[in-house]
Amino acid sequence: MSKVNDIFDVIEVGIRAESLRQQTIANNVANLQTPGYHRVDVKFQDVLAKAMESSEPVDLDNVETEVYCPNETQVKSNGNDVSLETEVGQMVKNNLRHKTYVRLLQKKYQQIELAMNIK
Amino acid sequence: MEINSLNPIDISLSGLQAQSKNIEIISSNVANAQSTNNGNGQPYRRIEAEMTTNTENMDGVNLDNIIEDMSEFPTIFKPGHPSADERGYVKVPNVTLPTEMMNLNIAARAYQANTAVLKRYQQMVETTLELLR
Repeated sequence: MSKVNDIFDVIEVGIRAESLRQQTIANNVANLQTPGYHRVDVKFQDVLAKAMESSEPVDLDNVETEVYCPNETQVKSNGNDVSLETEVGQMVKNNLRHKTYVRLLQKKYQQIELAMNIK
Repeated sequence: MEINSLNPIDISLSGLQAQSKNIEIISSNVANAQSTNNGNGQPYRRIEAEMTTNTENMDGVNLDNIIEDMSEFPTIFKPGHPSADERGYVKVPNVTLPTEMMNLNIAARAYQANTAVLKRYQQMVETTLELLR
């Protein structure tokens, strides 16, 4: 089902979510040794998918990215559950997604330019 | 099976986590190679990582179980030692340092291998993204 949403808006929301996620990763790594700290993550993909599935056109400004504690990793003896490996992996994934969004945006601009050149 | 283009990253990560836990276990063995009393009058018992996997889901490796090495404790003659028996023999941990060093090498190499896979996969996705240029 196609939506009236502008592709630019979708990409913008994506990029915003990825930068927020980058922030949470930085925060997790900074708190690698903090006793009792639980790692945080951004819930975005699920929220966006839900918004895109609904039958009415969605207002992407209302797609709120959510910061939450996944509590999936093993808790260490000092009550901290950050693992450096997980964070590095998240960062790699984040980086790839970010690159994808930026490339898509770039492609879109190229298409517009191409359309303008045709006389 | 769910198709997720970022799945190989998760698999490599599970490998990294398992190997770092494995190294933790090895360092515990090395640190306790001389511990003759664990609080219950027994010497330190060597521990080992048990890695498990789920072939159906292909979701990487798990290291949930730590098993104890039940081999017999060697004894050394040391009459003055507080843990010595009536004949003067002391039970020492069943840790052999050369074995631990070999295991450490293997674990470190496995860790390295997982980072190599991760890095290469990242490059592969980036090449795919080049197609969008």
